[in-house]
Amino acid sequence: MSTRVSEIAPTAPPVVRRRRSIEGGWKQITINRAFLLPAIVVFIFLFIIPLGQGFYWSLTDFTGYSTDANFIGFANYAEILRDPSMLSSLSFTVLFAVGTTVLVTCLAIPLAVQLNKAFFGRNFVRSLWFFPAVPSMAILGLVWSYILSPLPSGVFNTLLNDWFGIDSVSWLSDNSLARASVILVGVWAQVGWHAVLYIAYLQAIPSEYYEVAKIDGANARQQFFGITLPLLTPAMVISSFLLLTSGLKVFELPYTLTNGGPGFATYTITQSLITSGVGQGRYGLASALAVMFTIVVAIVGFSQLKITSSIGRRFS
Amino acid sequence: MKSRTLRAVALVAGASLALVTAGCSAGSASDDGSTTISFLSWTGQEQMKPILEAFHEEHPEVTVKASYSPPVAEYIQTLQTRVLSGTAPDVFVIAAENKTNLIDSGAVIDLADEPFMDGVQEFNLDTYGRDGARYGLSLSSWAAGYAYNKDMLAEVGYDGIPETWDEFLKMLKALKDAGHTPFLESVDQLPTTVSAMLGAKTSEMEPSLDEQIFSGDSTFEDEWTPILEEYNKLFTEDLVSSDVVALDGDQVRDEFANERVAIINAGPWIINAVQEANPELNWAFGQVPGLADGKPYQAGAAAPGYAISAKSDEAKQKAAKTFLGWLASEDGVEMFHEATNDVTVTENFEPQVNPVFESMVEPIRGGELYLPMISWQRKEDLLNVEVVAQIQRMIQGQISAEEVAAALDAKLAGS
Repeated sequence: MSTRVSEIAPTAPPVVRRRRSIEGGWKQITINRAFLLPAIVVFIFLFIIPLGQGFYWSLTDFTGYSTDANFIGFANYAEILRDPSMLSSLSFTVLFAVGTTVLVTCLAIPLAVQLNKAFFGRNFVRSLWFFPAVPSMAILGLVWSYILSPLPSGVFNTLLNDWFGIDSVSWLSDNSLARASVILVGVWAQVGWHAVLYIAYLQAIPSEYYEVAKIDGANARQQFFGITLPLLTPAMVISSFLLLTSGLKVFELPYTLTNGGPGFATYTITQSLITSGVGQGRYGLASALAVMFTIVVAIVGFSQLKITSSIGRRFS
Repeated sequence: MKSRTLRAVALVAGASLALVTAGCSAGSASDDGSTTISFLSWTGQEQMKPILEAFHEEHPEVTVKASYSPPVAEYIQTLQTRVLSGTAPDVFVIAAENKTNLIDSGAVIDLADEPFMDGVQEFNLDTYGRDGARYGLSLSSWAAGYAYNKDMLAEVGYDGIPETWDEFLKMLKALKDAGHTPFLESVDQLPTTVSAMLGAKTSEMEPSLDEQIFSGDSTFEDEWTPILEEYNKLFTEDLVSSDVVALDGDQVRDEFANERVAIINAGPWIINAVQEANPELNWAFGQVPGLADGKPYQAGAAAPGYAISAKSDEAKQKAAKTFLGWLASEDGVEMFHEATNDVTVTENFEPQVNPVFESMVEPIRGGELYLPMISWQRKEDLLNVEVVAQIQRMIQGQISAEEVAAALDAKLAGS
């Protein structure tokens, strides 16, 4: 027997269709909309104008030292698309963003369910899981570079050798292992923070739902899939959106852990933007990269919102 | 009411203008003949402060207002922003990373005819020069070679780094057979070995290796492939682990300080850390061995130079030249050496260095140094990122030495 939240949730009140006209007329509408002005101004000045300027500079050979830049059309874009390291950085960036999003979501929800139960030292354990989200990713990357050092003196390799007699593992010097290591450290660093986000939503689920389900004979698994998971959909939308956008912008962790290597195995788009563009005063090229990156992030972000909101509608 | 408001606005505007004007006047020549110049230092405040105080004592007519920004990325970014916004400091540092942009944008003045440039090593002046003009006063140089554990080498019958590459490979094999990790070289930058071997090669060429490549008379594939093939023997002959692709300089240094490896690539920056970690270590520096047709050499470059802003007015440029002139004097160079521990390269002062580094002083002061990134004429950072990544792939056995060099040609052609 399966118990779904839709079956046990109280019936929603009928939606009353309201007329478009609002009390107070156009004057009231204007006043209401005036409250949006600060947000609109901020959006225009901090997003639209810089984006427009970025696009303008992407069509020039602007070096950052002189405003006498020459218009060179889409040459910067062509150079980026010809660069094989760009394809590598794009593929790893997407792999990192999708990998961390899926893994963190799969781990943070069960972790949140466990941390939401009453047990001795619960707050301490919650803090322990949350702690990796406090230091910057750059510091975590440096620390993990010593832990995952492929040398026999690396922390993991020493433990493997001392405890199991296993030879040194090339954690960061093998392409596949290096990619996996960066993703797993990223997951480790973020899973606690997202578990706390899920705990907040878990605590908003009325306990009556579980009581009714128990009366109906639902076991723990059925309660999780029938009540908990559907009611966590809004949290999943927020969490996965945050994970995906931060994953696409990832820079510090792979930069400090592997410096984009070996080869271009863990090279990211933002690293490419900073080292190939800003780092050598090729602001035109960096702007082109930023414009392309914004488009990719927008496409991925909107797609993710569309997918998760349709999943949310199915469960609601 | 309205006119009162207008008067208040006018008053505030006037006061603001006065304040701005007063702010702008800092740094220009005063009526008493003294001049204040601004200086953006790459060297830290602790090291630079006594130098500036000594200068002011000797030249009270010039006051240097210093601000500090740490190298490299943050300094380059700060300076770039100030140059673009028209607030460039009167004296600042020209480095490998910004020299092309500073020279191309006309942000620095030519110092070639200044008398204080006369006693400086030609190699340093050329590094920050173009077409006969000299834009930076570089007082010191650095070099990287091999740091070696004397006891481990003695164990297999060697008293130093051999002069030839073949003999060096033999020594590594002997060290490995004796149960030591023979050699570690971080590959997060272009390997010291490759830079030094290229340096030995270009020192015998006229025009230089890079002039030939960047003019189109030669290619990376022609010039680099034989050297990369020799370097790759470290890995194909299983003398060094391919794990080095994941190591940085600090990890390699720690292995050396803890006597877990016999030889590493290193420069003077490891001396304090190694001696602090293991004061008993018996070690020294040596040059990178030469190939069959080459000679022992070292990677290295001229330290960043001091440049004068082209946007500064005449009085401030004159004061800035006084400052640079004092820096290049015997007293100035001595103070600079004491504060920074850099190996200075001027004729008027003989620097004293840590005994472990003594063998490298002569090549440094003789300008026998080479670093591709500084010698490359364009796309330096792009080529550097590419070469590091491609060499890592070669070490992993994914591509050949020839393919590494061909990738550089492709990157250069993609301008």
